[in-house]
Amino acid sequence: MTLALVLGGVLAVLVVVAVARPFLREPAPASDALDEPGELERRRLTLAEERDRALAALKELEFDHRTGKVSDEDYRLQVGPLRRRAAEALRALEPRAEARHARVARPS
Amino acid sequence: MIALSVAAVLAIFILYTSIAGAGTPEIGPSTVGRHAGEDVLLVGTVVGHVAGDAHAGGMRFLLKDDHGTSPERTSVLYSGSVPDLFRTGRQIVVEGTLRDGTFVAKPGSLVTKCPSKYTPAKSST
Amino acid sequence: MAQLGRAALLLSFALVAYALLGGSLAAWKRRRRLALSAQNALVASFGTTLVAAIVLWVALARRDLSFVYVAQHTSRSLPLGYALSAFWGGQEGSLLLWLLVLTGYASLAVLLNRRTRELIAWTVPVLGGIAVFFALMLCFVSSPFATSAAPADGAGMVPSLQNPYMLAHPPLLYLGYVGLTIPFAFAMGALLARRTDERWIVATRRWTLAAWTFLGVGQLLGAHWAYVEIGWGGYYAWDPVENAALMPWLAATAFLHSVMIQEKRGMLKIWNVTLVALAFCLSIFGTFLTRSGVVNSIHSFSQSPLGGWFLGFISIVTVFSVGLIYIRLPLLRAKTKLESLVSREATFLYNNLLLVALALTILWGVVYPLLTQAVNGETRSVSKPYYDFFLHSFGLPLLLLMGIGPLVAWRRASLRALGKTFAVPAGVSVVTGVVLLALGFGSSTPGLLAYTFSAFVAASIVLEFVRGRRAAGSLTRLVARNRRRYGGYIVHAAILLLAIGVAGSSAYQTIRERTLQPGQSMQAAGYTLTYVSLGTRQLQNAQQTSAVVDVSRGNSHVATLHPGKSWFPVEQSASNDVSIYHDPRSLGDVYTIADRISKSGALDLKVLVKPLVNLVWAAGFIFVFGSLVAMWPDAVEQRKLADRYAAVPV
Repeated sequence: MTLALVLGGVLAVLVVVAVARPFLREPAPASDALDEPGELERRRLTLAEERDRALAALKELEFDHRTGKVSDEDYRLQVGPLRRRAAEALRALEPRAEARHARVARPS
Repeated sequence: MIALSVAAVLAIFILYTSIAGAGTPEIGPSTVGRHAGEDVLLVGTVVGHVAGDAHAGGMRFLLKDDHGTSPERTSVLYSGSVPDLFRTGRQIVVEGTLRDGTFVAKPGSLVTKCPSKYTPAKSST
Repeated sequence: MAQLGRAALLLSFALVAYALLGGSLAAWKRRRRLALSAQNALVASFGTTLVAAIVLWVALARRDLSFVYVAQHTSRSLPLGYALSAFWGGQEGSLLLWLLVLTGYASLAVLLNRRTRELIAWTVPVLGGIAVFFALMLCFVSSPFATSAAPADGAGMVPSLQNPYMLAHPPLLYLGYVGLTIPFAFAMGALLARRTDERWIVATRRWTLAAWTFLGVGQLLGAHWAYVEIGWGGYYAWDPVENAALMPWLAATAFLHSVMIQEKRGMLKIWNVTLVALAFCLSIFGTFLTRSGVVNSIHSFSQSPLGGWFLGFISIVTVFSVGLIYIRLPLLRAKTKLESLVSREATFLYNNLLLVALALTILWGVVYPLLTQAVNGETRSVSKPYYDFFLHSFGLPLLLLMGIGPLVAWRRASLRALGKTFAVPAGVSVVTGVVLLALGFGSSTPGLLAYTFSAFVAASIVLEFVRGRRAAGSLTRLVARNRRRYGGYIVHAAILLLAIGVAGSSAYQTIRERTLQPGQSMQAAGYTLTYVSLGTRQLQNAQQTSAVVDVSRGNSHVATLHPGKSWFPVEQSASNDVSIYHDPRSLGDVYTIADRISKSGALDLKVLVKPLVNLVWAAGFIFVFGSLVAMWPDAVEQRKLADRYAAVPV
């Protein structure tokens, strides 16, 4: 019974420490603001995903073509647009291009 | 396109229920009298003495409502496989028809409800 | 010690409530330290729940009968392994298991995804909210730590549960059910955070796959247990408790496929969040069904107080998810459209529709008794014919799609290309169909269709591996470089085996029953079974009576079976001991049940010959293997993802 009490007490203390820890470690932080992606960062993420998607689609098209699922004709038809999409996505992610987009997006 | 497929699925579903009918009623001994002659699922608790042999001539027992205090008792005549858990006091489900005061069960349709609420013990599928 | 358990659970409750409330505040008001504190609370709740679990396990091991739960589910003579497994034998213990697994998973998810600061800030309160429900139940409604004067001995465990499969079946199922909470929480977290990117999918991909695998294997184990232990000759009876696990599994299968479309084409965002919410709701509903006994009889509803609480919880979750999805609808609208009805995207969509349709028709069948009672005052129920009809209507096309999908290209597939890739598999299946028809398999139309479609799928999978190997150079390199795709094909192969096994053992099985005197024999599907003699023996906690039955095929003896019955004096109940011969030639079983052993020694023997049934169990192993391959971390992919999120870690 006393063992249960002691263990319970220890548990309670540990729990309180765990919960209070972030406040104990930084009693007066410079900033308590939670990181969140800004507009620029969100767009960058979407662009990165689009780039990865385009590259993956290209890779899959090559593989499907090599294994015979996509005919030569279909391959020729699809590879052009896909390569262009990938190139666009890559270009959009370059810092200069981003800044240009940002300037355009913000109302002047 | 999604709307079309949903419509197709619903169509199959409605077709089935209209052809096969809307399920089998599950009733207790207190209300089975209203469904004499129909194919129903009788749900109840076994009371009293279990007589006879399910594999030779038929097993006879009485069934009462699982819940409530209705004094109605239905006499059941059953033949076929009997699940292990079957005995007086058990909750069971059996399919059949009420004929001339006796509930004549479909052979092999006796199912007992497992007391620990896991899968009911079946006698045949 | 029960005090410690109760205290630990109260601490858990406080912690997850803090995670919910503090976490919500932190995410809403953008407070970093509070968010971290809420995360810590969630992780700490695993610790406290674990303490409570250990208290219960120790009590079970020691057979401490002052614990009401221990007295209800164990006895002094129960072997230790089963006494420990009694943890999940009753309602209170299984709730504790749910909370344990949930807090465990939540902690792991939080620790692995600490870097996604914004996403995790919103996911933590969702996880906390779900855990609050279970902790609430455990603390105030259904506690495993109730104590009373210790009786002389416990009530014991139902004999049919004293089986190795029952040791693994519930925990595996729970690892699956609860596992679906993680993708749900991340999806809702992403919506709350107004995110439109795929981060939540990437973070939960392996969780979903793992949960789905656990759920699948758990069900197979349960089916196998029913097959060998309950012993009626089947492995699935469309019982509400069985359906309870099948429905979320079907929804999860649909979800696994549709997220692939979102990843590759950026489409179906709304469908995906709806589907993951559906899978989660079905999983909670499944737990509720199994634990509250509500469907067997409407009156049990009032017997178990838990029923009302669960229903309330499911309603809250449904309203919350639907509401949130509705509010974020503008954000989720797709810019990409389906380009062609003949494309891999389209086949995935058809597969999804069929899977969800099947899950919903099963759901309808399960709640039908409740609805008719509420509307008409009279309970009506549906049974095997209903379920079989929809299993065939939706399952057979699904089987075929499994073979078609991999053969169709993304975006758009020209009919000429299709013709070329379809030619061999279609040819194989037509030939198979004709041959089978000639051999007499036309006796069952669904069975014949299942076999014919299976031939198509098998050919299509084999071709994928053959063509792929040619392109990649070697089989290992092929699979290593395309783990998700080829792992997926292996899983398809497993499902294929499952389908063939199910078709064979149900559509083409033979059942014979006869009363035999010693020395007499009976015939069944080419086997001769002879009743030789009767014997009794004493087991650790039971008395077993079994018949010796010789099985021969043609003129050669193949096996000696011992169907019988056991009597457990402590639990005062009997159990059926079926005896099964696994025929290596047909991969099927000769399944014998001693229906009745009369005092005079006459044996009522029931024999089921089930062709190909062992494929069902073999499929389980291949299923796990395929999943592991698909889940196996890929260095190249990890680097790509790290690169993608390097600039935007949140």
